[in-house]
Amino acid sequence: MSDAARSGRDTPRRWILLADMDAFFASVEQSCHPHLRGQAVIVCGDPSRRGVVTAASYEARPTGVHAGMPLAEAKRLCPHAHYVEGDPEKYVAMSLRLLEHYLTFTPDVEPFSVDEAFLAVGRVGGTIDEARAIAAGIQRGVLDKFELTASIGVGPNKLIAKMASGVSKPFGLTAFDQAAFQAHFWPLDVQQLWGVGQQTSARLKGLGLATVGALANADRRRLEAMFGVIGPHLIDSAQGIDHTPLIPYHEGVDPKSMGHEVTLPEDCRDTLALEGTLLRLSDQVARRLRSEGFRARTVTLKLRDHRFETRLRQRSLGRATDDHAQVYEVARALWRELWKGEPLRLLGVSVSGLVPADDSQQGELFAVDDRATRLREAMDKVRDKLGEAVIVPAGSLSYRRALGHVPFGAVSPRTGRGEGAKRDAATGDDRRGGKPEGWPDPTARAPRFAPRAESDRGPKHPTQRDGEPGSDGAGPDPRRRGDATPPRRVTRRDRDL
Amino acid sequence: MFETLNDPVDVLTAFVDGRVRPLRFRWQGRVVRVKRVTGEWTRREGNALMKYFAVEGGGAETYELCYDPRGPRWVLSRAWTG
Repeated sequence: MSDAARSGRDTPRRWILLADMDAFFASVEQSCHPHLRGQAVIVCGDPSRRGVVTAASYEARPTGVHAGMPLAEAKRLCPHAHYVEGDPEKYVAMSLRLLEHYLTFTPDVEPFSVDEAFLAVGRVGGTIDEARAIAAGIQRGVLDKFELTASIGVGPNKLIAKMASGVSKPFGLTAFDQAAFQAHFWPLDVQQLWGVGQQTSARLKGLGLATVGALANADRRRLEAMFGVIGPHLIDSAQGIDHTPLIPYHEGVDPKSMGHEVTLPEDCRDTLALEGTLLRLSDQVARRLRSEGFRARTVTLKLRDHRFETRLRQRSLGRATDDHAQVYEVARALWRELWKGEPLRLLGVSVSGLVPADDSQQGELFAVDDRATRLREAMDKVRDKLGEAVIVPAGSLSYRRALGHVPFGAVSPRTGRGEGAKRDAATGDDRRGGKPEGWPDPTARAPRFAPRAESDRGPKHPTQRDGEPGSDGAGPDPRRRGDATPPRRVTRRDRDL
Repeated sequence: MFETLNDPVDVLTAFVDGRVRPLRFRWQGRVVRVKRVTGEWTRREGNALMKYFAVEGGGAETYELCYDPRGPRWVLSRAWTG
């Protein structure tokens, strides 16, 4: 196969690897606590509270436990497992060490999530066998150095590498060129395609496009009519064509959105408590915006009720903001529109349409509420010095009184794509595989290499649209410019204040 | 299972290659010898950078120690004692 054919472009390119750590969080716990090796380990939030499974070791998976499953169900299916409260910083630290390992093979490493990274390897125009050999070396090194296993996909582009990485797990190594990709994936269900979630899959099947191959050969105009600009992207993806560039972490990209969400300790219909929660989440989001030098133009609210039905609604602001009061005002208005009084399980607030704070301030010098700005700056200074939980908006205390704890997470935490993340291209249906809601996304603090750092999730798949509801769990981008300031987290002691 | 403790402990440490390594610590009246450091990470609280170490004791038990520069002090944050 020619270089042009395999890249979908006219110029030869290097092969792309996607290194995906197997059951990463559970494996790190097994590595830190060797007596857990070979045993079923389930990483979650506080095991004594309700929540969801963050990660399950391979030993636990035969019982049916998987990331994203409610903890109560996991305990019923796998009562003998070790339930370990996850520790995001621990996983981020390991993620950084893994990236250092990858960098010994190639300078072109793009952290994609806390447990995944794209690498461009070999020489331009190199063979797939050369790339496979490099991948094998990386895999051996991960095992020898860290006692962890990675599954690696090799392909001519990020799409094929990503999908190949999931073909054989754990400790798999799969190399596909475009022809091999088509041979393997075309007979499979269309939902196997990266970027196709449940809802898009249902719509495609409604058009008679049940397999990846059927989608690959679909009529472009028909798909465009149905899905807009995403339609042709879906066809390209099904054919194994992807032009998404690999962006090495040192080049940095700005985040597209940020957000926080929390699973409530029990289903809640108390207005005061829920509004307090929204205020707290809005405050966390705004704090993140300020600390990273952004303002946001759009606020998105996420609700999940006791039946696990999730609803999203977003609204644009007149002008970009980093003020928690403005974010809260919009989030609360959306909440009042969406909420019909049913018991809620989860609340989330995220912002998108980010612009650098400096740019967004131009032209509105006289509109700035100076007193509020000075108050925010003073609060930020206190938090920088003493931690996030030492000072919070008074209204959010109603939430603490009512529910007994503060959702943890602070400046950098962000929900998002970690292990098993996948989202629906056309609907924004986030099928992320399992951070417990309200759990800081380690990727948020992840890769902080000098001179740039921190990131959470890597770029979206080309079929994803910016700013779509729920399009982000939010969190700083691993390749974002940043400093070396480590992330902070509200501690158990803080939470219990 | 894991116990979350946050017990203050005395820790004997060494500096190796510019990095601090816990060697042994006293907890509940007994001295635990650190057989191996199995993990290391940090966490920021305000402007304090906490350093965490996952360590194996002499037997099958494992611990997580935290150096809190605000004391300064060492804390046994979690223990897995079987």
